[in-house]
Order: sequence, then C-alpha cells, then structure tokens
Amino acid sequence: MTGQVTDALRLAGTARVGDLVLEVDLTVDPGETVALLGPNGAGKTSLLRVLTGLLPLSGGRLDLAGDLVDQPGSGTFVEPHRRSVGWVPQDRLLFPHLTVRQNIGFSPRATAERVTALLDALGIAGLADRRPSACSGGQAQRVALARAVAAEPAVLLLDEPSTALDIDSQHLIDGLLADGGARATVLVTHDPVEAATVADRLVILEDGRVTHSGSPTDVRTRPRTRYAASLAGLNTLPAVADGYTAMTVGGALVVLGEPATGPVHLVVPPSAVALHRTIPDGSPRNVWRATVAELQPALDRIRVVLDGPLPLVAEVTPGAVEVLELEPGSRVWAAVKATEITVHPA
Amino acid sequence: MRAPRPVLAVATVAVVFLTLPVIGLAQRTPWSSLGDLLGRQSVLQPLVLSLTVSVAAALVIVVLGTPLAWTLARVDIPGRRIIRALVLLPMVLPPVVGGTALLFALGRRGLVGQWLDRWFGLTLPFTTAGAVVAAVFVALPFYVIAVEGALESGSDELEQMAGTLGAGPLQVLRRITLPRLLPAMGAGVALAWARALGEFGATITFAGNLPGRTQTLPLATFLALESDPEEAIALSLVMLTVSLAVLIPMRDRWLPGRRPGR
Repeated sequence: MTGQVTDALRLAGTARVGDLVLEVDLTVDPGETVALLGPNGAGKTSLLRVLTGLLPLSGGRLDLAGDLVDQPGSGTFVEPHRRSVGWVPQDRLLFPHLTVRQNIGFSPRATAERVTALLDALGIAGLADRRPSACSGGQAQRVALARAVAAEPAVLLLDEPSTALDIDSQHLIDGLLADGGARATVLVTHDPVEAATVADRLVILEDGRVTHSGSPTDVRTRPRTRYAASLAGLNTLPAVADGYTAMTVGGALVVLGEPATGPVHLVVPPSAVALHRTIPDGSPRNVWRATVAELQPALDRIRVVLDGPLPLVAEVTPGAVEVLELEPGSRVWAAVKATEITVHPA
Repeated sequence: MRAPRPVLAVATVAVVFLTLPVIGLAQRTPWSSLGDLLGRQSVLQPLVLSLTVSVAAALVIVVLGTPLAWTLARVDIPGRRIIRALVLLPMVLPPVVGGTALLFALGRRGLVGQWLDRWFGLTLPFTTAGAVVAAVFVALPFYVIAVEGALESGSDELEQMAGTLGAGPLQVLRRITLPRLLPAMGAGVALAWARALGEFGATITFAGNLPGRTQTLPLATFLALESDPEEAIALSLVMLTVSLAVLIPMRDRWLPGRRPGR
C-alpha cells in the first residue's frame, strides 16, 4: 500500500488468444466509466475475459480494487469466482433453468433485498418468476445487467450492452450505470455516440493494443489513428435543452429541430457543419464564430477542427479549403441547420 | 426427404425382423389363463426381485456413474482413453465372462472378496446384493456413455458465467451443471436400468439362481421354458410390458444431442 487512491482496475500485461496478442496498459478509477472501442477482432471481448479471469495473462500483472489477482511471473492467479467483477457478456448467458429472480440472485454475494430492489429499478418485477426464454431482448439485457451488479462488484464489464436494445431498456440501463457509486465500468461498444454519451473516457483498442486513451472530446478532435478518425465522425456535444433551444456546456445557444428538455447530447455530423468566411444569411439559424485549430486529411475530405464556443469538427472538400483559404488560426463562421442536429437524452 | 425404394425396402425388413418375435410371443400367449399365471408366486416372486435389483442397481449407477462421467469428460487425466476403454469394457464383454471375472474378484476366495468376507463378514456371491453388483457391472457403462456425451469437454459458457458471479466449482456443479444434465441423466438411467432388468449371464454366474434371492425374471423365464412354457410366456410378457412402459415415455431421448418429438 502506497497511500494513494486505490485504482479500481490496473492492468499492464499480455495475453494470447489464437493469433491475437493482447498487450494492454489500462487503469480505471473508482466511479469512472471507460468505453472500450475498436474494430472487430481488436481484442475487446478478450480484454474483458482477462479482467474476469476467464483468460489468464501470459505476462505482466492485473490488480483489481487494490488486490493483485493475476501475475504469471509470481504464479499469482485469483480464480474468477473470487474476483469482484460483474460481467455482462454480449450474448448475456442467462441461466435457462432458473427464473429471472433466481438469475439475478445467483451470486452468493447478492442479498434478497438487493435483488428485489434491482427488479423494481429495472422494471422487471413482473417477470420475476418467469424463465429467461419468456423475456424480450431488452428485458433479458436488463436481467443480465441486474445479475452482474447484484453482487456489488468493484468493476462492471459490459460487452455491447446496447445491441438491439429498445429505448426504454436503454434509459433504464443508462440510469443504472450513472448511479454506480464507486463502481468502475468498462463498456465495450462500437457505437461512438453511446461511448461519448455514457463514458468519462474512451480507450481505443486496435490489434490488441491501446492506440488512444482520452476524453471523448480529445479522441474526437485529435484522433491518432484511422480507426479513431472514423469514430470521430460525429460531433457529440453535452448540453441542457429547454424546448427548441439548448445551451451547450461551452455556453453556445443551439436551435434544435425537435423539442427536448433537460440534459442531452447533441449529435452533429461533420458533413452538416458548413464553413463561411462571412456571416451567412438564409435558412441556417445556428451560426457561430470559430477559429480553425487544425486541418486533417481524411480520405477525400479535409476534417477541420474548430475552436470556439462550440468545439466542432467540420468535414469539407479540399476545394472548399482552398476557396475559403483555411489554415490554422483562420476565423470562420460555422453554420448548422437545426434539422441536422439529433438530440439524445443524457 | 424422399427415400430411395431399396433403402425403404430393407428398412421395412429390419422392422419386421425386430417385431416378429413380439408377435410370436403374443400369438402363443394363453390369454384366457393369463390372469391365473400372473398371480402365481413363481411369477410374482421373480418380478418383485427383478424390480428390487434393477432399481437398486440404477441408484448405485447414478451415484457411481455421474462423477465418473464428469471426470472422463472434464478432467485432463493421463491415460484417459485407456480408462474410458476399461469403463466401457462390460458393454462388449460377454456377460458370462463378466460374471466369472466378478467371482474371481469379489467371490469368497476372490482378490477383494476374501477381505470383504474376513473383515466385514460380507459375502456377495449367491446373495441379492450380488445380483445388484452383477447388474451394476454390466449396466454402468450405458449410463456413463449417455451422461459423458451430454457434457461438453471443458466448462461451457454458462458455467464460466456462474464462476464470474462468485460460484465456486462445487456450486457451479450443483447449481448449473447438474440441473442442465438432468435430461441426459434420465436417458442414461433408463438405458442402464433396462439393461439391468434384462441381465442374465453375469447374474447366474456370479449370484447364482436362488428363488427369492437371486432368481430374477430372465433367470426364471429361462428355467420355466423347460418346465412350464406357458409360465415362461407370462414372465416374458411381464418384462416386455415393463420395458415398454419405460421405452415409450423416453421416445427419442435415447440419443444424445437429439431433441425429443422429432
């Protein structure tokens, strides 16, 4: 013990799965939610299996909640059932011969009161005595999540939790995730909108290695790899909505195409951000003053990273860059039609 | 799928061949005096004994066979293939040979039997317990094969899931593996029980042919064939009925990996 704040999870190790070599450095703080993004076959699911103990490390070490659980060098290996980890695998793996209540209460560490509270919180109390086969996809996902958190794990691992999820389930699950207390969450996803809206930090995993770790804004505005650049495709802006307008965290007023209230995330495709040298007139009602921070080539387009009240990324043609004489430091007007903005509840 | 005619023709011959003996039995049955025959002590006594022996054997088989099947399927023990071959040997061994071998192992002068006799005063040959031992010996492999076939090699995903939720290996076995194995255990126990019920060779060699103690239905039938053929038919009908009563509810569940009702 060094007297520092204990990490919920600290991994610096390697593991092998077939041809893939995972070589990962990853630290997650208590209460932090990390979204793990990466192309198919990058090792996201394998990384979760390393954390559960189902895939032992071949080198390095893994600490969970301050305890060393896997270190091949010293012969240390803590079995999965002795780790404080909750796992929601992509195919959920509900126990078909047990009822919903028995599934959620499966862990020896889950109390009956906790199970009942979770059944209520996730709106599945009515299914308590049914078998998983009688649940819809969204309901089954809620059961799997409730089962994973029933034992109050220090680390929660979610593998593609939103795949084929209905809106109600999504909201309930987001609520449960936001209410995790000291629990750390690692969320595997390939939905950049989900990643940016739920996670405190994005970790990009490519070919078994972490290629980028940073805030959603950092990854969006300074993608380090081609994959990250493709993810960064969408601008995701936290804001508070009130009817047809929303105030962003940066203090910009945005006119919306659809009404909303409360905390939201505004999603703007870079192709919908138009750049002008002089203030435009006409239909776009959202116009902000911005400074060009950076120009990035992206295939046949140029990504223009903007500073200003709204940290947007615009995607324009090389021709437009020439005509507008864009270079870092250029002052421009950025315009977005209200109808191009989609609103996601935060 | 449309079957080619020659295949259908041969399959029909096979079905006729298998059902003909049953028809022959029914045709020779003295239906009018059947009630009287079935009430005889010489029919009832072997029936009760056979049920006792086969059910006791089935219980022993579940207790011994389930851990054995699990170990063969899951544990990476050296020489596993040889051990499996030894376990399955009684399936292919002529039962008379099995009975003889049991006599030399567990008989009063046998390898282990002499110590059982000397230390515990336990004598197996020519006792009902001996008949159970003979039945277990020949029927255990049928159960082991059915259950081992249903266990995947290595722990499956649901068992791993249970582990991450904090269940230790024994809890995983009790709460996940065994409940999901129940259908295969049911099929295995039905197969083994049927085999135990029909056991003849090992029983008569090891346990003898003592009415009320080791004379089970097959033994009584064989003897009655000499002295009283009508009683032999009645005994055969009893066994046929009991076997069908197990076979019919099983439907297709004999075959591992196949869903019933197809």
